[in-house]
Amino acid sequence: MAKDAEKSTWKDFIWNSRTREFCGRTGSSWGLILLFYLVFYIFLAGMFCLTMYVMLQTLDDYKPTWQDRLGTPGMMIRPRGKAMEISYNTTNTETWDMYIKTLDNFLSPYNNSLQAEKNEECTPDQYFVQADSGDVKNNPKRSCQFNRTFLEKCSGLDDHTYGYQAGKPCIIIKLNRVIGMLPGKDGQAPFVTCGAKKEDSDKIGEVEYYPENGTFNLMYYPYYGKKAQVNYSQPLVAIKFLNITLNEDINIECRIISNNIPPGSVRDKFAGKVSFKLRINTKG
Amino acid sequence: MAYSQCFSVSLSHTNTHTHTYALSLSLSLSLSLSLSLPSLSVSLFLLSLSLSSFSLSLPSLSLFLLSLSLSLSLSLSLSLSLSLSLSLSLSVSVSLSFPPSLSTFQTEHKMSIEECCRKFNTDIVQGLTNAKAAEFLIRDGPNCLTPPPTTPEWIKFCRQLFGGFSILLWTGAILCFLAYAIQAATEDEPAGDNLYLGIVLSVVVVVTGCFSYFQEAKSSKIMESFKNMVPQQALVIREGEKMTINAEEVVAGDLVEVKGGDRIPADLRVVSAHGCKVDNSSLTGESEPQSRSPDCTHDNPLETRNVAFFSTNCVEGTARGIVVCTGDRTVMGRIATLTSGLESGKTPIAKEIEHFIHLITGVAVFLGITFFILAVCLGYTWLEAVIFLIGIIVANVPEGLLATVTVCLTLTAKRMAKKNCLVKNLEAVETLGSTSTICSDKTGTLTQNRMTVAHMWFDNQIHEADTTEDQSGASFDKTSASWAALARVAALCNRAVFKAGQDQLPILKRDTAGDASESALLKCIELSCGSVKQIREKNKKVAEIPFNSTNKYQLSVHETEDPNDNRYLLVMKGAPERILDRCTTIIIQGKEQPMDEEMKESFQNAYMELGGLGERVLGFCHLLMPEDQYPKGFAFDCDDVNFTTESLCFVGLMSMIDPPRAAVPDAVGKCRSAGIKVIMVTGDHPITAKAIAKGVGIISEGNETVEDIASRLNIPVSQVNPRDAKACVIHGTDLKELSQDQMDDILRNHTEIVFARTSPQQKLIIVEGCQRLGAIVAVTGDGVNDSPALKKADIGVAMGISGSDVSKQAADMILLDDNFASIVTGVEEGRLIFDNLKKSIAYTLTSNIPEITPFLLFIIVNIPLPLGTITILCIDLGTDMVPAISLAYEAAESDIMKRQPRNPTRDKLVNERLISIAYGQIGMIQALGGFFSYFVILAENGFLPSILVGIRLNWDDRACNDLEDSYGQQWTYEQRKIVEFTCHTAFFVSIVVVQWADVIVCKTRRNSVFQQGMKHTNILYILLTYLPCCVFINLCPPPPLSRPSWWFCAVPYSVLIFVYDEIRKLLIRRNPGGWVERETYY
Repeated sequence: MAKDAEKSTWKDFIWNSRTREFCGRTGSSWGLILLFYLVFYIFLAGMFCLTMYVMLQTLDDYKPTWQDRLGTPGMMIRPRGKAMEISYNTTNTETWDMYIKTLDNFLSPYNNSLQAEKNEECTPDQYFVQADSGDVKNNPKRSCQFNRTFLEKCSGLDDHTYGYQAGKPCIIIKLNRVIGMLPGKDGQAPFVTCGAKKEDSDKIGEVEYYPENGTFNLMYYPYYGKKAQVNYSQPLVAIKFLNITLNEDINIECRIISNNIPPGSVRDKFAGKVSFKLRINTKG
Repeated sequence: MAYSQCFSVSLSHTNTHTHTYALSLSLSLSLSLSLSLPSLSVSLFLLSLSLSSFSLSLPSLSLFLLSLSLSLSLSLSLSLSLSLSLSLSLSVSVSLSFPPSLSTFQTEHKMSIEECCRKFNTDIVQGLTNAKAAEFLIRDGPNCLTPPPTTPEWIKFCRQLFGGFSILLWTGAILCFLAYAIQAATEDEPAGDNLYLGIVLSVVVVVTGCFSYFQEAKSSKIMESFKNMVPQQALVIREGEKMTINAEEVVAGDLVEVKGGDRIPADLRVVSAHGCKVDNSSLTGESEPQSRSPDCTHDNPLETRNVAFFSTNCVEGTARGIVVCTGDRTVMGRIATLTSGLESGKTPIAKEIEHFIHLITGVAVFLGITFFILAVCLGYTWLEAVIFLIGIIVANVPEGLLATVTVCLTLTAKRMAKKNCLVKNLEAVETLGSTSTICSDKTGTLTQNRMTVAHMWFDNQIHEADTTEDQSGASFDKTSASWAALARVAALCNRAVFKAGQDQLPILKRDTAGDASESALLKCIELSCGSVKQIREKNKKVAEIPFNSTNKYQLSVHETEDPNDNRYLLVMKGAPERILDRCTTIIIQGKEQPMDEEMKESFQNAYMELGGLGERVLGFCHLLMPEDQYPKGFAFDCDDVNFTTESLCFVGLMSMIDPPRAAVPDAVGKCRSAGIKVIMVTGDHPITAKAIAKGVGIISEGNETVEDIASRLNIPVSQVNPRDAKACVIHGTDLKELSQDQMDDILRNHTEIVFARTSPQQKLIIVEGCQRLGAIVAVTGDGVNDSPALKKADIGVAMGISGSDVSKQAADMILLDDNFASIVTGVEEGRLIFDNLKKSIAYTLTSNIPEITPFLLFIIVNIPLPLGTITILCIDLGTDMVPAISLAYEAAESDIMKRQPRNPTRDKLVNERLISIAYGQIGMIQALGGFFSYFVILAENGFLPSILVGIRLNWDDRACNDLEDSYGQQWTYEQRKIVEFTCHTAFFVSIVVVQWADVIVCKTRRNSVFQQGMKHTNILYILLTYLPCCVFINLCPPPPLSRPSWWFCAVPYSVLIFVYDEIRKLLIRRNPGGWVERETYY
């Protein structure tokens, strides 16, 4: 009996046919409250959009307001591998095929023809500064050519497998783009140097750098952002391991050597340096 | 045999004590376990319902759930007050199991009085000497029951540490430590985040545990002080002096006097009794009061009439007895010691609280697990998912709310205690606030309970006595022989005495033992004729019939002053009409004259005149008993009257006034404007009652009763339309004849009601009548007989000074100063705390939205996490706590006593409007404020909002160290995590900033903040929240907000909250009853 009564109150709460109330409210009451919330939330959305709009107005289109987190630019490698681990088997094409594809894709914008078409030849070893004159923006900014051929043996033009098949793989290193960064002073260009971690130091063998000495030429700096400098070609350094020990994990760390880049924080393993693991298997 | 049985039981009981404790523990555990299961399923069901059918707009089902749980949490501290009534309830239950066969333990009832005296080295007249009493007190210990063993403090502390939500947080902490341990074992450089989180969680649990523990200790201390403030008193005779001592100091052999309304202070062997009846219901379960006399009527001490038992109550009459046993040695004590070890089951309220915690926990766990599964599905490691689970739980559980509610109620109870309202259970604070009818006693509550003789009528003339406190008023002619006779009767037929040891005090300020009017007479005679004590010593009392409500007179028989005159003098006082009925002559100018019709009419006129002034009139008469009928040594039997009480000689009238207390008219006016009906219930004459009612404003000026209208229009009462009369005075005899419908009719149609000449039983009928009409009734009472009414009432109010112990026990609240105005203060406080709790809860719940939405958006639209777990903890337990408590100090909005009482079925503490405001409106603004600062920081660092959606997978990928922002720059994992932590900090600061606005808008529900004013304390509290905020920002690993502007991103939203709510309140004020009020006034 009591249960019945309870049931009916629940039912009454959901739909009360006597007062024509659904969940304790009549249709018009629901309508009003929903309308209120609709209007209220539209207003809130408007308010939010307004504040966002005002905030966005304070931003510069070409340069972020703050760059203090990017004091030390990060470094990255291509191919990236899985969790910074490149391992493949020379005899098994499938294991390194994806690296080749990655590199092909990555390097395709650097084809000489494309570079010649979009970018211009700049004076090497000096910053390519394109200052704005006061409020008049000097836009779009021009960019310097970085031709794929600069990477020589690692350009993938002669050796389509970038040395992977031969067990002499190419790794491409890039320095993260940071707007306005001048990586070297007194005309000294930053360069990349790679080495193995302590216990692996005798296993790394000979390493070749392209372009020569693994330098990032100063003419590619400063970067003006993707809006002002649409066709910017990020300079690259390729390293080729000529006689690396096979069938073993080798931890390699590459760092940028520059007289104008502060050392990154200890926590950040990718600020001004990059570590990765390389393993080349030869046995089936 | 039976005794040894009892003994063995008690012995075995002490042995098994620890076992029973463990048993009860496991019992409660299984109870909680069995409770948790259904509650979980119910909550899941409700939740899924609310989610499916309402989405975000108005989740009223879950609101219902919340309001339910919150209303339960209100009654938190009720369990604390239980101990007060424990002993009584225990004894009732046990009396059934023990047959009344404790015969071996007491033999005093079979001894003669002299034997008894010898046994205890006492004297039947003088009592014990003080030295003996002190010696016995040292020997036997205080006369009180050994309290049941209390739970050790460390167990209480552990309960706080591991009870309720704490288990949930401990689990979270342990998970954190586990996660860190696994990380430490598997990774070279484990991130410390989990370790920090674990430590923070543990610290949080310990700190909140300590807080609750100290809070509980504080509350129980208050309850303790309540106990101490209402100590039981006993009137003992030591060295021939009557003195009131603490009942604990009573020792065996003491001569004790008890009167109607007292609690028996120890087991007594009655030596003399006058119409004494005791209520043994607490001991034997018999509800009928039983009379006591000095004679042994039964071998069984429980059955015999000459023993009165400790902690039972004397209902009427007086008795004198020798204390036979004290403390644990009393019959009650034996039973109590046997049973005190038995754990009483959990109170319904404790269960409700447990249920509430389970409910909240269930919801939190359910949501947490849902998100956990979601997170795992979205590709998180289990470690991260577990941390999110902890985050969800933490965001959902309002950790601080329970403590806040307790603190608020405790604060109010303390504040009320300061204003002379002792609240026995905290729940009563709130009940009082919703009171709609107060049935008040007149004497002592509305008036000063300081009867003063105002007028006298003798020699066919009204004489005015001096009622001023400093005796500066006019005096009357004291030379008349009639006055001498009147003074003698008044002095002799009077049981009141001055208490010992106050000879230095002016007479009017001395304390007396005796009722108010007798004391008034005593003081009056002492003032005008000198020492009453001497008069009484000269006229030794031979017999006495104390006043009772059936005869309505009191008489005593004395020897005369003149040693040669062997006649006895019978003196009588009482209700004038009754006295007059017994008189055949009247004394005029000292000469006895027959009572003729003229005299009677003159008497009637004087009586009506004095009564019309609202004064209590007593008639006095005497009779010198003829020596031939009543020779010296005549045995007067007062129980079975064997002497004449007719044909007496009328001496005169004395009338007393009990002036209204100064604060009462104001208080009654306040009640009226607060929509509270004040009904006066008194045993006094209707005219007296009406006069006082008019004096204090219960019958307001210009309102007439039916009788008034009739006499004004000069028509019979029957022709007056009762609807024309707003006020009415109802006589107790009329009340008896009213049907239930008529009663309802009267209560409904008259706003100003006075019940006169009512018996305590009728009080109960009145209370029931009011409750039938849906009123929340507060009843004041002081007598034993009031306790049914006090219990029946929604809130019983006992009198701290004049109230009997029984009434104090039955009441929910005690007025320390017996003042009606204190009730009104209580009502005001009750309404205030109800409002303030609403504000507190509204404030606390609001921040849940900005805490949960980051997780929702994080998982649904894949943006970097805007708010971390530790940050949520910091808000819930750090920055939100103090402002929430500060709202309990909020002053009343000016209209608090001008609105109608709360309807308990409709007006809930947490209603859907509160949730609508907190979650749907203010909370949403707050969330937007938080998100705005989040977007500002990301955008200023290069990540514009447009690229954020869906960025999460790359953002949280440790291997992706060249994530491109909106400007083409590339970021390493650590670099963007630092930005993310900055966002957490900014989000946290934003919540703090918007909560500042929230605490300001929560200060009022209707008034503008500008009307309410900003109290300094409030600002201080707001600033105090800044401290943990700064500490957090500077100590925790994420970098501080390096740009000043990031601290103030949410300020526009703060302003919006303030403006929005001010406009809302303005609309509420402008359009009372309008849509805005109906939908948003919580």
